[in-house]
Amino acid sequence: MEFTWTPEQLDLRSSTRRLLETRAPLARTRELAEAGQRRDEAAWSAMTQQAGLLALGVPEEHGGAGGSRVEQSLVFEEAGRVLLGGPLLPTVLAIEALLAAGDDAALEEHLPGLVEGERTATLAVLGSTGRWRPSSPTTVAARSGDGAVLSGTEELVLDGADADLLLVLARAEGGPTLYAVPRDAEGVTVERLDVLDLTRPMARLHLAAVPARPLGLTGGGAGVVERVHRAAAVLVAAEQVGAMDTLVARTAEYARTRRAFGRPIGAFQAVKHRLADMAVQLEMSRSAAAWAAFQDPGSADEAFGAAVAASYCGEAFLQAAKDTIQLHGGVGFTWEHDAHLFLRRARAAATLTGPPSEHRAALVPLVLPDLVAPGHTEVPS
Amino acid sequence: MTTTAPLTHRDLVADTARRVVAEHPPESTPRAEFLGACFDAGLAWVHFPRGSGGLGVEAGLQDVADSILQGAGGPVPFSINPMGYGMAGPTVVEHARPEVAAELLRPLATCEELWCQLFSEPGAGSDLAGLATRAVLDGDTWVVTGAKVWTSLAHRARRALLLARTDPDAPKHRGLTYFVLDMTDPGVEVRPLRQMTGAAEFNEVHLDGARIPDTHRLGEVGDGWRVAMTTLMNERRAIGGGSSRRGSGSIGAALQLWRERPDLRTPALRDRLTALFALADAARLTGERQRVESGDRPIGPEGSIGKLVGAELNQAVYDFCMDLLGVEATLYGSYDPPDGVDDETDEHAGPHDVQRAFLRSRANTIEGGTSEVLRNILGERLLGLPGDIRVDTGRPWREVPRG
Ligand SMILES: Cc1cc2nc3c(=O)[nH]c(=O)nc-3n(C[C@H](O)[C@H](O)[C@H](O)COP(=O)(O)OP(=O)(O)OC[C@H]3O[C@@H](n4cnc5c(N)ncnc54)[C@H](O)[C@@H]3O)c2cc1C
Repeated sequence: MEFTWTPEQLDLRSSTRRLLETRAPLARTRELAEAGQRRDEAAWSAMTQQAGLLALGVPEEHGGAGGSRVEQSLVFEEAGRVLLGGPLLPTVLAIEALLAAGDDAALEEHLPGLVEGERTATLAVLGSTGRWRPSSPTTVAARSGDGAVLSGTEELVLDGADADLLLVLARAEGGPTLYAVPRDAEGVTVERLDVLDLTRPMARLHLAAVPARPLGLTGGGAGVVERVHRAAAVLVAAEQVGAMDTLVARTAEYARTRRAFGRPIGAFQAVKHRLADMAVQLEMSRSAAAWAAFQDPGSADEAFGAAVAASYCGEAFLQAAKDTIQLHGGVGFTWEHDAHLFLRRARAAATLTGPPSEHRAALVPLVLPDLVAPGHTEVPS
Repeated sequence: MTTTAPLTHRDLVADTARRVVAEHPPESTPRAEFLGACFDAGLAWVHFPRGSGGLGVEAGLQDVADSILQGAGGPVPFSINPMGYGMAGPTVVEHARPEVAAELLRPLATCEELWCQLFSEPGAGSDLAGLATRAVLDGDTWVVTGAKVWTSLAHRARRALLLARTDPDAPKHRGLTYFVLDMTDPGVEVRPLRQMTGAAEFNEVHLDGARIPDTHRLGEVGDGWRVAMTTLMNERRAIGGGSSRRGSGSIGAALQLWRERPDLRTPALRDRLTALFALADAARLTGERQRVESGDRPIGPEGSIGKLVGAELNQAVYDFCMDLLGVEATLYGSYDPPDGVDDETDEHAGPHDVQRAFLRSRANTIEGGTSEVLRNILGERLLGLPGDIRVDTGRPWREVPRG
């Protein structure tokens, strides 16, 4: 039932929180970001080999720990609290894609290393436009003997310069198809990009006739990517909730202690009311994100929940990040203060899976199914 | 942190509701009789004790009962007796003497006795604890004199929740006492007030020597503020609790208007509509989550979230509808009460009466606690921020300047 977590799930949440607080606290996130590093090696192995966080949501027959999106979203909420970035999200999404593609040989080859955290992976599915349009990929797959070779440019690939395995969506004869490409394959050139969210490195990939193996059915790539896109929306929403929770707690603490005109600034309504709104939007986001995580992957309810959560949480977190800066005054604008790390994350996360307006557009057929029929055209504004 | 309602309670509620529907088919049973059967079966407020209209189970299970009862065509008692069901029931069951509760609850539940709330006064709204209506004990009867205002449904109510001052020399929160007033008392005079919509759902109520037996006092003398808190928290929950059905409430009216008027649609308005929909759904889910998480614990300050968000959402939704209508929005449906509504309330305004709903929605951020007051409550009680600067703390009520 929605909003009812089992004791095991609650344990997972608190053990993950402890793990991240000790091994990957926000201060460490900042150090990594400033040094341009994608991850803390010790923390990564604690999260993967010891805590098994990447095994969550992976069926036991594939060496996973079972569980569902609910467990994953609890982990991402905790990750959001400390703005953990790096290979976690892209690897989880790549695992999701491998599972959705259902290619046994590929699962056998790739999953164990990914689940164990020995290898990392990422999706290259935005093509040269940088937009989630799985039905019209821009990278092209050409037949070559038994396999295929891929050519094209893939923009905005999370962790693309360092992930070991690339899952590339390409236009093939039978329709969009997902391919597995080792990042060090011949013909792959990597361009590291300067990014707004310093915790999430990105790269541009140039593929020049790179040999690749199709995953699952030819022409099945769009379906796989759509499914992963939804998972991404749900997990990013959980992350946004965690991050917002940190902001509300820290900003409230600041408002209780920083004094002006002889009083804590939180006694002034302009401050108090803005904080109240932050808390309200956090609670609303929490509800939307959690509900979405409770839905069955691939279901219409999940599509609905993901669209609501992505649209609402994305904007709420961004507002909370801006308000945090405002309520901290000058110190909130400094490099030393963490506020900008949250603003960067919020700004980037609000469009990582497409801007909120696109998620809202996805709501239309779900909310107004009878209006999607032909003949109902809109007046252009 | 959360617990699920044990399945047995859920089953108990569902089985009981199905039994009531089977034994008292709603379409052939008079309303009061049907609601009386619900009360007797413990379905009026499932979390109340047995014998007082409840089954002693988690409040969150009320939905289970309501969806079966109303799904079978039963009446929606909250919309007939909103102050009764939403606030008076919970206040009476918690604070009245058992024999008085027994006398009051059943006729409330059957809607034979409608209730109203005599709290606000011309000089005390947000600052409710500053109110001036006086109650003086005469033997075993209280005599009440003063003026109340904005009292919804007073013109049809049989009983009222009344907050009055019994000690003007005590600091304002400590000099109040809480009563149940019989609105047919000769000392009660109700005068309708016309609202900006043209309707008159609220009133002024003049109390001139109205008499209340001491048995109809709720809580101790001087402890009225604490009792009033029960009422106010339940009021916010009742107003803000929202529906658990996706796309119901004001957003449903907007969707219907959108559906009916393809000629008015634009992509920009569509984005606004879906943004409002996402907001409405996040609010709806927050109500759901709070119900699941609180179980049978009393509602805390987070109960104000639904009221705050719901009020601003309604206003935004009707603003949207007005924009959708474009130039047509400058017309007004009718200044007569809406069709099919048996009283003067504006609450039932549907998509065909957008202008009325637009006007009515302005009250949403005022009634039941203004949005400013709610933000104070959330900031102070949920986030632990310091209180506003104030000059009335600890001073006797009679020395504090009033507006
Ligand atoms: C349609 C409707 C139905 C109602 N029905 C009932 C009813 O049945 N029974 C009943 O008892 N009352 C009822 N009310 C009254 C309602 O509860 C009050 O109007 C409300 O509490 C505000 O009080 P006020 O009108 O005196 O405004 P005021 O308290 O004078 O407020 C004026 C403005 O000042 C702001 N303000 C006041 N104090 C603060 C503060 N500390 N910080 C920041 N801002 C502040 C307010 O938010 C508001 O914007 C109803 C009101 C309406 C509109």
